[in-house]
Amino acid sequence: MNDIYSPVNEKEVSDFIYECHKDSSPIEIIGNNSKKIGRVIQCSKTLCLEKINGIIEYFPEELYIKVKVGTSLEEIENTLDSKNQTFGFEPMDLGFLYEGKSRGGTIGGVVACNLSGPRRFKIGALRDHLLGFKAINGSGEQIKSGGTVVKNVTGYDLSKLVSGSYGTLCALTEVTLKVLPKYEYQETFCLYGLNHNEAINFFSTAMDTSLEISGACFYPADNTRFFRLNDIKQNNSILSLRVEGPKTSVQERIQQLRKIFGASDYSVLDIFQSKAFWNLSKNLELFKNTNEIVCKLSLPITNASEFLSKFSNDIKYFIDWAGGLIWLSTKDVETISKMRIFSVKNNGHLTIYKSDDNYRRTEEFLTCGDTNFKILSSKIKKSFDPNLILNPGKMYAGI
Amino acid sequence: MVLHLPEADQKILDNKSLIVKELNRFTNNVLSDNDELRPYETDGLNVYKQKPLAVVLPENTREVSEILKYCYQHNIKVVPRGAGTGLSGGSLPLKDCVLMSMGKFNKILEKDFKNRCVVTQPGVTNLAITQAVQDQGYYYAPDPSSQLACSIGGNIAENSGGVHSLKYGTTTNNVLGVEIVLIDGTILRIGGKHLDSEGYDLLGVFMGSEGLLGVVTEATVKILKKPEAVRAVLIGFNSIEDAGSCVSDVISKGIVPAGMEIMDKPLIIATENYAKAGYPRDVEALLIVEIDGTASEVEAMIQKVLDIAKMNKASYNKASNSDEERMKFWKGRKAAFSACGVISPDYICMDGSIPRNKLADVLGYINQLSKKYNLRVANCFHAGDGNLHPLIMFDSNDPKELKKAEDFGADILKYCVKVGGVLSGEHGIGVEKRELMCEMFNNNDIQQQLSLKKAFDKKNLLNPGKVYPILHRCAEEGRIHIHKGKTKFPDLPRF
Repeated sequence: MNDIYSPVNEKEVSDFIYECHKDSSPIEIIGNNSKKIGRVIQCSKTLCLEKINGIIEYFPEELYIKVKVGTSLEEIENTLDSKNQTFGFEPMDLGFLYEGKSRGGTIGGVVACNLSGPRRFKIGALRDHLLGFKAINGSGEQIKSGGTVVKNVTGYDLSKLVSGSYGTLCALTEVTLKVLPKYEYQETFCLYGLNHNEAINFFSTAMDTSLEISGACFYPADNTRFFRLNDIKQNNSILSLRVEGPKTSVQERIQQLRKIFGASDYSVLDIFQSKAFWNLSKNLELFKNTNEIVCKLSLPITNASEFLSKFSNDIKYFIDWAGGLIWLSTKDVETISKMRIFSVKNNGHLTIYKSDDNYRRTEEFLTCGDTNFKILSSKIKKSFDPNLILNPGKMYAGI
Repeated sequence: MVLHLPEADQKILDNKSLIVKELNRFTNNVLSDNDELRPYETDGLNVYKQKPLAVVLPENTREVSEILKYCYQHNIKVVPRGAGTGLSGGSLPLKDCVLMSMGKFNKILEKDFKNRCVVTQPGVTNLAITQAVQDQGYYYAPDPSSQLACSIGGNIAENSGGVHSLKYGTTTNNVLGVEIVLIDGTILRIGGKHLDSEGYDLLGVFMGSEGLLGVVTEATVKILKKPEAVRAVLIGFNSIEDAGSCVSDVISKGIVPAGMEIMDKPLIIATENYAKAGYPRDVEALLIVEIDGTASEVEAMIQKVLDIAKMNKASYNKASNSDEERMKFWKGRKAAFSACGVISPDYICMDGSIPRNKLADVLGYINQLSKKYNLRVANCFHAGDGNLHPLIMFDSNDPKELKKAEDFGADILKYCVKVGGVLSGEHGIGVEKRELMCEMFNNNDIQQQLSLKKAFDKKNLLNPGKVYPILHRCAEEGRIHIHKGKTKFPDLPRF
């Protein structure tokens, strides 16, 4: 085990990184180490940001919260909940994937991984909700970008760049995130017995309405047992459409879904079951305790059918984001290689979310088919971290 | 008007005829005569004018790439330009630059309803995207006031918003992918018809980068299904404070309107005279709230908004009963700039963004400044997201007035930053607010941004002199005072 340094303030983070920068000594950055994501890297030092924690300011009427990065997701969500607010991007709790139980980790980790849940296709990803941040770059300098307001074109939007940068550009110390009022009510319309091609067509039909669907997923028949909800019909594939908003509006829209899809076998989940359903789905409980390699595949909706026709027999999967995202697992590394080729060819992206350390050490975490993109990524990394000391190799070997 | 821009390279100026000849190898559309260059000497911020060395109008990505590569190899500066409607001088030419106008990239390439997106060339206007898909019930959400003329490429450069960005976000939230060309000619495709490519979010950082990182040659934008019902309501108040507090209450009650705009009395009168939208003339502030969703939801929300307005002492209200009436409500607001053009020989439109609860405070300060500078001002706000557009009126025939107007504007923006806001919500920094960047950022912050710029453009050839202060470091006192054409820190390095 290498040295773990846990600074308690920004100045200490800055001093530590400055010293490492002078020695070109690589650092692994962690929050509370809840996510085993990205490539395994060798660093002599570990910088733990867990103690940089606390809520700095929260103005519910201004719809933002400013927190230190080591603050737990749970604490923040409870605080928002007390004011009947929430994060629109539905941050995922990956604890179930890695440890079989809830462990949401720190907000810094959530931002570093750009973790966005089922509502992403409607309301944007985490990166769309990060209004500003403070951080220490790879030279040990304190930097900031953005602010607390939603409309801001004042210099480059570095918030976008640090979201999903896996700690390779800077050590975040403070983040300001947009929050939203909670929806008053929700219900979920479930359709049963469809195959994946039908499901994708049904998504299309549902999205081609003004019903403001805010969740749209599909689970094939053999992958639904973990839902255990009263109004879910077991042993069937499930296509679920979530509707949120004021109660009368939700009920009206569910009524319209009945009119459109009523000829099929369906049920409606009430608010409690609907919330439970989307939590289970968001937190990837389908893959709870799995030993297989778990991947996230983002694809144009029109390529999803072709992908599943080719690979559905070799993988365990579900579809999210109304057909734009496939979460999947497989034991077979050959299958993953083939899927990577498919994703590059079809303008999509495959990311490894869970695998054993050997795979994480030797294989790619992301899938990049464009050399020019990699060259530019490398230059961007150096523009923040000239000696390549922050999580080097975490995203791509050599970057 | 003296505006400091990066020093022109005499060798480039001397080589004009050779450069023009070379550029003609890459495209048939090269302009170089004085008369031909005139239309390109300014953009929407027309107090600044400068003719470029030459103008190129490439017709495809290959031409863009070849021209940029040539310029890169010969150290020639390039300024990209969309429709030229930008309000911060982002496409103001430099004397020794090649101005790259994207006007010939004017085709929509694909309407893809299954993936709910449109693939378009960057010169297509914002409104043309909606017009292309509206027969299928779809639209493109960002709607800047200039949407009839402004191009998607320009929207990307400035991360344009509009009155509906409160609910639907700005350009950055509505673009799925781009094809860009870097200054060295490298062609990159970022994102596409899918959501969220992993890797550094180059798409996100490219949005609002004001033409400094690359030239957009294609964009894939998200289209949305039209809501089932839309209604707007006009609410009048006897004080701007009441209007501001009504806005805060609406938001904190969990209502997210599609748009929420405030206009102050001078603007109400000006627009009413100009556009005859039916606004009440006897109120101090007018709030326009638009709600969309299902029919019953819209009804319920409009009622809630009216109740909140009543609690905030609203003195007037009128809800739209048809789409025609709703469009009429917006007609006044969207004509605000033109209306000011009628009552004043010149105006500059500022663009700060502030926390919502500071609206009344900032407006009070703007009115004080108006007295101090003895210049008229009219205000409209995208109140829902705290984005202000004070319109400062002046007469450019009196050189002192322009200077006064600029100082007035700078004071407003400094105050925006002081109350926790930012210098620009949607117009960008350009040349207009460049020297104010140090009000918001310290030297480390600016150096980090410049360092990122170098990753894309190490010779600083693409749109130099924009966004960042012309001096290399933030001068101690923020805005650089230029006296007799000389800066206070002549020894500091420039970029």
